[in-house]
Amino acid sequence: MKLLKLEFLKLKKKSRSWLGPILVFWLIMIAYPLTVELLPEKLEVGFFSVLWIATLISMMLAAEDIFLEDFNDGSLEQTMIKTTSFASLISIKVFIYWLLIGIPISLLSFIFSFGTTTNFVLSLMIFPLSIISSYIFLNLFVLGNALSLNKGSVLGALVTIPLALPVLIVLGKSIVAIQFNINYSGFIFLLLGCLSIIIVAVPLVVSYIIKAHLE
Amino acid sequence: MIKKFIHQFASPKTYLFQVNKFYNYIFYISISIYVLSITWGLLFVPEDFVQGNSFRIIYLHVPASFLSQSLYAAMAIASVTYLIWRVKLAAYLIIAIAPIGAMVTFIALSSGSIWGIPTWGTWWQWDARITSTLILFIMYLGLISLHGSFSNYEKADKLLSWLVIVGFVNIPIIKKSVDWWSTLHQSASITLTNKPSIDPSMLYPLIGSTIGFFGLIICLVIISSKVQIIKRESTKSWIKDYV
Repeated sequence: MKLLKLEFLKLKKKSRSWLGPILVFWLIMIAYPLTVELLPEKLEVGFFSVLWIATLISMMLAAEDIFLEDFNDGSLEQTMIKTTSFASLISIKVFIYWLLIGIPISLLSFIFSFGTTTNFVLSLMIFPLSIISSYIFLNLFVLGNALSLNKGSVLGALVTIPLALPVLIVLGKSIVAIQFNINYSGFIFLLLGCLSIIIVAVPLVVSYIIKAHLE
Repeated sequence: MIKKFIHQFASPKTYLFQVNKFYNYIFYISISIYVLSITWGLLFVPEDFVQGNSFRIIYLHVPASFLSQSLYAAMAIASVTYLIWRVKLAAYLIIAIAPIGAMVTFIALSSGSIWGIPTWGTWWQWDARITSTLILFIMYLGLISLHGSFSNYEKADKLLSWLVIVGFVNIPIIKKSVDWWSTLHQSASITLTNKPSIDPSMLYPLIGSTIGFFGLIICLVIISSKVQIIKRESTKSWIKDYV
């Protein structure tokens, strides 16, 4: 609990880190209608694709400096030596980032889709889908940033975006399933299954990767 | 016991001298099988009832697709071996396989595209199998760029191994994509459990070309791994004698 509070306060102080990705998401979603003719049916065609890509980009930005500052000032190394479970510290860090960035983005996704589609169930289902996908993306980009810790976030994004693409495929399929009301809960459970594996595996792998960097 | 066995038989020096003994045999047998199978497939196998002569590209496309996934699986095994037993040779093999894997995946994608024009009427389709194979291709490129961005080889090897293991998740997705999603790409004609749905006259040259292609790729992996060993062990006295 103490660690949770500490990580929360640390991130809260760095307003660029948590506000930046939210604003980028917002701007992408505002920019989208400007690129198409303002006919509601035309707007809805590509809306969800833009929504998921905006979520992906925002999460990529969110994870950009998750370890960098701690790595540069040596506190990451100290924590690794002191803490018995380094992986749990990483999962706390990721959780806080998701809480401050992923949740607001999910709320914004719901609001934007509510304003775009006439299908209420669809805009309602966007919220849980966005919550799950943002957590998955964040974990993946954290993994990427751990790999390219002091080599810039581009390399990290390059190696992890391919892993996020199957999630995008499932998200696209789930939107179609909701639109046609065909057993869309299966897709949500599939994403939840992926998330439950990722939540456990990624912090563990990331802790080993950071150890490799510090050795 | 396992550790002792691995360390004894997987030292770069032993590997380098051992593969030299077998390389010529593997190369000549593989090239003979491949040339024979390709000739058989291209000239003597009857035309396909629906696809005509365009189906003959399977003698390149199928082996390349099979190898693109198999090479990644080999990299994943090497990664586990490196991370658990710290076998240097495994690390050399991972980075030796990666560019070959990328090349083979590119062959699979491009031959699939060429085949797509007469059969599907399009050279590209965003379907699950093709997209997941494209993801595999990007993964290979990502692995190469990750390894290349670190000057400390040991660190690069460790990070690469972790990424290979995480990225392995894409392999079952590629394999099962045709079953999990309704795709334009056909499902597997040859499985371990069922009788092949392909006619024997087309099947035998296909098996031959796959074996031949597999052997040729092994030869490429051997050459690439030898380059890696020479590069990485250049300070050792035995490598100077070898070179």
